[in-house]
This record gives sequence, C-alpha cells and structure tokens, in this order.
Amino acid sequence: MDDQMRIDFYKEMVRIRTYESALQANYHADKAPAWDIGAGLIPGEMHLAAGQEPVAVGLCANLVQGDAITGPHRPHHLALAKGVDMKAMTAEIYGRDTGLSHGKGGHMHLFDPSQHFSCSGIIAQGYPVAVGQAFAFARRGTDNVAVAVAGEGAANQGAFHEALNLASMWKLPVIFIIEDNDWAISVARELATPIKDGSLRAVAYGMPAQRVEGNDVETIYEACKVAVERARAGGGPTLLEIHTTRLFGHFEGDAQAYRGDELAEAQGNDPIPAYESRLVKQGVLDEAQVAAIKDEASAEVEAAIAYAKASPEPKPSDVYLHVFA
Amino acid sequence: MTATVESAAGIRRVTTAKAISEAIAQEMRSNPEVFVMGEDVGAYGGIFGSTGGLFEEFGSARIIDTPISETGFIGAGIGAAVEGMRPVVELMFVDFFGVCFDQIYNHMAKIHYESGGNVKVPMVLMMAVGGGYSDAAQHSQCLWASFAHMPGMKVVAPSNPYDAKGLMISAIRDDNPVIFMFHKGVMGLPWMAKNPRSIGAVPEEEYTVPIGKAAVAHEGSDVTVVSVSMSVQWCLDVAESLEGTTSVEVLDLRSIVPLDREAILASVAKTGRLVIVDEDYKSFGLSGEIVATIADKDPRLLKAPVQRVAYPDVPVPYARVLEYEALPTRDKIEAAIAAVMTA
Amino acid sequence: MSEVITFPVMSKDESAQGVLATWFVKTGEPVRAGQVIAEVMVDKVSLDVEAPTDGVVTLLVEEEAAVSQGADIARIDP
Repeated sequence: MDDQMRIDFYKEMVRIRTYESALQANYHADKAPAWDIGAGLIPGEMHLAAGQEPVAVGLCANLVQGDAITGPHRPHHLALAKGVDMKAMTAEIYGRDTGLSHGKGGHMHLFDPSQHFSCSGIIAQGYPVAVGQAFAFARRGTDNVAVAVAGEGAANQGAFHEALNLASMWKLPVIFIIEDNDWAISVARELATPIKDGSLRAVAYGMPAQRVEGNDVETIYEACKVAVERARAGGGPTLLEIHTTRLFGHFEGDAQAYRGDELAEAQGNDPIPAYESRLVKQGVLDEAQVAAIKDEASAEVEAAIAYAKASPEPKPSDVYLHVFA
Repeated sequence: MTATVESAAGIRRVTTAKAISEAIAQEMRSNPEVFVMGEDVGAYGGIFGSTGGLFEEFGSARIIDTPISETGFIGAGIGAAVEGMRPVVELMFVDFFGVCFDQIYNHMAKIHYESGGNVKVPMVLMMAVGGGYSDAAQHSQCLWASFAHMPGMKVVAPSNPYDAKGLMISAIRDDNPVIFMFHKGVMGLPWMAKNPRSIGAVPEEEYTVPIGKAAVAHEGSDVTVVSVSMSVQWCLDVAESLEGTTSVEVLDLRSIVPLDREAILASVAKTGRLVIVDEDYKSFGLSGEIVATIADKDPRLLKAPVQRVAYPDVPVPYARVLEYEALPTRDKIEAAIAAVMTA
Repeated sequence: MSEVITFPVMSKDESAQGVLATWFVKTGEPVRAGQVIAEVMVDKVSLDVEAPTDGVVTLLVEEEAAVSQGADIARIDP
C-alpha cells in the first residue's frame, strides 16, 4: 500500500464526512417548524453514515465501475465512494428534477445504473438482489462482482440467510458485508444477536468469512481485497462482518438517549481524526495538505448543495411518470 | 372431446400448460438473457406443468431449481433483471406471496419508479392460482386484486391455451415486471378435472397477445359478462347454453393491470346489463373496480343493478360441498344473468 | 395399412390401470407422424402419446376413461 493510496483513502473519507456533516446541518437548518419531519428543503427521514467512512472507502477501493453495490437505508458513504455523482445525488436528496431519480426516490432510494449502485429502505432486502446481479455477471463471463451491504440488525432477517445460502449453492461472485455499528436504531447488538461474531454464520452456508475489528480503512481494504479477488477468480462468495461506529443518530432527530456514555466513547473513537494523525505522524501528510484536502471537500460539497437548492422541482404532474417503462 | 373445442384448420391442440412452456422455450431460443428459476421447475417441469420440457432442452444453467427461499430467489431475479437479463421466476402458489411480498411489491414493482425511469426490471413472475380441487385456504386463492392494487406491476391471467402462449411471450418481451397468473384449472393437467376449453388450438410459431387488452370471447347484445381466468370457461359454457334465449356477451379481460376499461364500457354501453364473474374475493377487489369503472364514467349506462358472482369474503374451505358453495359456478352465473335480465 | 396405438406400458406393475387423460384430436381428423395425440397417466406419471404415422385417426376409448396399459386406444388409417 503506497502513500498515495493512503492519501486517497484519507481524502475520500474527509469528502464523505464533510458531505454527511453538511447534510446534517442543512437538514435541520432548513426545517421549519423544526419538529416537523416532513418540513424543510430535505423532507422525510435522514440516515447519515458519519463514522462508517472506512467501510465504504476500504471496500470501494477494490471495486470498478462495472461492479455492483446494494446498500441499506444509510447509503451516502457507499454511493459517494462508489462514484455516484455528488450533484445528482444531492439534487435527489433535495427532491429536485435534476436528481438521480427526478425526485422520485429520495435519500433511501438512490439508483445509479452507470455505477450499478442501488439502495433500499427495507432492511436486508438488498442481499438477494446482489445475488441476482452476481448471477448476471457470472452468466456473462465477466469478472465483475456484486456487494451487498447492510447492518448487523439486518443479518437477523430471513433475506440475509436465504441470500447467503443461494450464493454459496450457486458459487456466485458476491460479497456480503455486515456493517456492525453496534446499534439497530436503539437496540444494542447484544440484545438482538446471540453470537458475538456474526462471521461465524458463514459456516452454516459453506462460505469463507472474516470479522474485521478496529474500523481502520487500511485493514478493511485488505479484508475486502481478499474477498473481491476470491469472487473475481470464481471462488464464490465471502461474508465480512466489519465493526464500525455510528457517530450520529440512527436518523436525524434521534436524540440517542439510549446510548448513554457509549456515545461519548464512540465519538472519541472517530476514525478520521485518528487516521489523519497517524498519516501526519508518519510524514505521509502535512498540515497544509490536510487543510487543502478539507477545503477541497468543503468546496465540492457546498457546490453540490448549491446546485441542488438551485435546481427546479419536478412538475406535480410528473407523479404519474415512470410507473411503467 | 366436446364439440365446442374446434381446431382451426390444421392447427394442433395443446394444453395451456404446454402453451406456456412452449412460449418460454421459444423466447429462450431467441434470447440468451431469458432463464427460468423456481422450485421444481427443472426435471419435474413445474408442479403445474408450466416448464415442461424446458430442462431437457436447456439444462440446469438456464432452468434452475431453487431452494425453498422465495425472498432469496425472487430478489435474485430482480438483481438479474436490473442487470439486463430477462428472468422468468415461478412462485409455486400465489398464496405463498406472504413470505416474499416485500421483494415483489417494494422492490420489483417500485424500482423503475424510484429510479425515475432509469432502472428497468424486465421480469416475469409466474404463479399458480385458483381452487376447485379441495386444496383449501392456503393453496386455492386467486389474489389478482391484491397484486393489481399495488402500482408498478402488470398482471395477466389467461383463460385458454392460445392467450396463455401469446401473453407469456408478451410478458417476457415487456420491459416491466409482469405477474403471470395461470389458474390450475385451465392448465389441462391430467390429474385434475378440467373444462375442455383448457385444450385448444395454438399456432406453432411465436405470436403475441397484447397485455392490457380484453377479448370478446362470445359476442352478444343482451348482457355483458365480464370475467377473467378459469371463470371465463364457465361463462362461455353458460353463454353457449343460453344461445337462442339470451344473447350473452362474454368479455375475457385477459389482463387485470392494465385493465381494459374501454372494452368494459363499450360492452356495457351496448347491453346495459352487467354481470361480473370473479373467483377472487368479492370485497375490495376486481369486481368492485369494474363497477367503479361504470360508475365513474356514467352509471346511466346500466338498466339494472350489477350482479357480482364473486368468491365470498371467506377463506377457501376444504370440503367439496363447501368449496363449491363458494366458487362462481355455472348455476350461479346463469342465475345472475337471469336476475339482471329481469331486474 | 392401419396402425393401432396402444396405451404405453409405463409402470413396473404392468397390471396397474391408467387413464386416458386428454385427447388432442377427434375421430376423423388427419394426423401427422410425430403429432401428439393424447396425454395418458399411470400412478401420477404422465406421458404424451404420438401418432406413429400420417393418417386419419379413430379414437377407441373416451377421455378420462380408465384404461389398462397395453390396451388399444386409437387406430390410424391411411
């Protein structure tokens, strides 16, 4: 792993964090009345992935455009790292006609077919769809892979188990990722999942697996590399349970009282400042470069938000469009 | 064989099941992206014969027996479809949709809309529907109204072999998700009592039947009988038996979504009397939607109240005497026609 | 030369009765060699019966009739 790669990892994580933080600020600032979830320029629910950047960045550094990702209701880090256009994505989140889906999908239903990226608001349902994408790739003889990402809560849903079984039975090029951020909304992992290491479930489905601790982008990159290369070489699926952290609430508006002291502890384990300080200490980055990276990220994010806010809304009669092709 | 099933000159007769599997085979021969997935669709040929002969011709790479994992394999069908393949996925019985409905109505039906038209799901989800052979509450339902109620998926239900082949070819070629419902009673299976109309003349070459267009199965001027699927066969038996007494027009919807409202209105405008025969539950469903179609446009088209011969709002019972009390049988259809004619 | 078509022997127990489930043709119809003219079933296993030659078919048993394996079911006349 050379220094440039590490710098790229840091840059991308900063880019994502800047985005999630900006969305958080704008979501609340533009909401009037503040208590009304449906109000504001970004209406509805908002699930931000601050803290989970290492997963997206470590994974996507192993992927190419033709590889597929199905993501969960907390998708922005994955979308950005995969290469979904930030402006079109932001316009979609703002419900504008210039959005990825012309405002039809919103933040939990981001689709970019050019990147084979999709996400869904229904827990765990992206696992079977990724199996199908991998099926198509294998049938066509490409070495593309499909990746399904969902949380540790999703791993208790039937769709997860059916998908792993099918992928193993048919030896498909799919990687199943469990983003374990310890919380399924307000329910701690240990109250929902009887085993401490979810990767053990892979034994039941006859596939290799690994649990990755530390929320470190480089470790995650290496683990994903093994899985992706295995899939590309025809070696079938892998299950990766990646321990990460959710720094914001489950949704914006979640006071997180249920987290108690653990929240402060989690915030103290923020992966980005930790990585930044490591790279600076190792002489890979200096303060000036750090500042430049942050400025560049801010500029890109501000431009995307400005683009979204300036974009036209869809026409009301557009509601009838796109039911059928 | 009854004389009512005439063969067009030189065209061979086949069962509806054979017509369906032939349609799939012809599309698979011409398009390598088409494949079949489901439980027992391989060597077994499908529990109701929908995939007979396909495994022998195409093998396990394209005719895929799945584990009992409906959410898993229907989701996989969706994934393959968004990547441009054309899966034909079988849900063994419509009644099983409970274990996989999220993939169907929240994903298959909605992805095109949620993506603003950017992602297509060109998938066929076929399933066996219907009762009449004592398979009881969890294996005898029709439920087309339940699927029709949710936007984003087309729903078709042929009543005969000719339409079955043409609709399956149309469904496979359609870029949208199509729910293809084959009533077990129209399949012409050797192990279930059948109406002779389940065997019919089917051209050997490929052809399509348009989705969203009803067919006038029997022309008439006194009363319009609107029906779909198996019930159409009973309606035709009644219409033919009443020739000379009452001129019955039988409209075979063939598709529930899109619903051919123009055809319904045109026929009712002509006759002024409407009987609906629907094996799906009566309340909150297809028969009410047909009545609403008239009421929305012009209730004055009607000379008499509408007669609905629909399945009552009860789970399907097991005992034959109970089940046939509920089913829309010929005697009930005749009585409804008589009622609407004398009202 | 007329040809008689018999109910195929399909099961290990040759005395097991079968059923002529479906006729796809009517008496007096012309048929082609290889054309599927009937579907028969013994013990839940079904089979298509093909016309062995071109000709005009005469049905010898009724649809849904119980038939012994090996019994005559149709005749094809030139």
